[in-house]
Amino acid sequence: MHDFHPPISDAGLYWVVPVPAGALQWSDGGRSATIEMRDVAVIDQPKWPARKAQASPARMSFKMVFEATNTAVTYENKARLFRVTGFLATCRMEARVAVPSIGFTWRSDPIDKCPPAAFAVIGNEINGKYYEEEAGR
Amino acid sequence: MQGCNASAQAAASVRPDSPVDPDGPSGPYPIPWLDKNGSHNQPAGPDLEPSHIYHFKGRVARCSGFNGMGTDGNNERLLFGTATTDYGVMDGEYWAARAPQTGAFTHI
Repeated sequence: MHDFHPPISDAGLYWVVPVPAGALQWSDGGRSATIEMRDVAVIDQPKWPARKAQASPARMSFKMVFEATNTAVTYENKARLFRVTGFLATCRMEARVAVPSIGFTWRSDPIDKCPPAAFAVIGNEINGKYYEEEAGR
Repeated sequence: MQGCNASAQAAASVRPDSPVDPDGPSGPYPIPWLDKNGSHNQPAGPDLEPSHIYHFKGRVARCSGFNGMGTDGNNERLLFGTATTDYGVMDGEYWAARAPQTGAFTHI
């Protein structure tokens, strides 16, 4: 059993990493997104979510494609200061990982052979101070 | 340091040769109440915000629930994914270091 993800950042951001220029493409007016990243530094943490679970340096490459359906959605929570406007979507991905310290490699089936995610959404979000500023106008 | 206020005491604790970022780091930070399990994370789903970044406006994409197959280096077929296997993309403007910042980020 393996679990691949970036470490949690000092600020607390959970498994979030910057996307290099050119790795993310939006098209069709924001209704489609393709992200492709190679050799992202991650950790393999088989015992996650146990705290301080042993982690081994690993590399992950992946391609993910989101495409909007025709089902529009709006998620808004005034108490939690966010609004999402967009569409339910399909998302497919392919990935490969490597853990050099144990000689482990794995490659998913090609993206067109992998089932889509059970849930996906694509759109625009506004939260926090930006939401408050817009509400105050 | 008797008579100094908290700010002055904090400033006094900064070593003269250490780098100082007076407005704080410019990287994004998490949504405060995404902390149900002691982690700034939540699954993707209806009525949940896709962004992991607070004070954010921009494009987002979010998904969860993968179940696929792959092949390891020994040519063994291995499953991947669970109901909570989730990914996300955030691309836009966020507020940090007392100024608007721009960037694209992914949750993987």
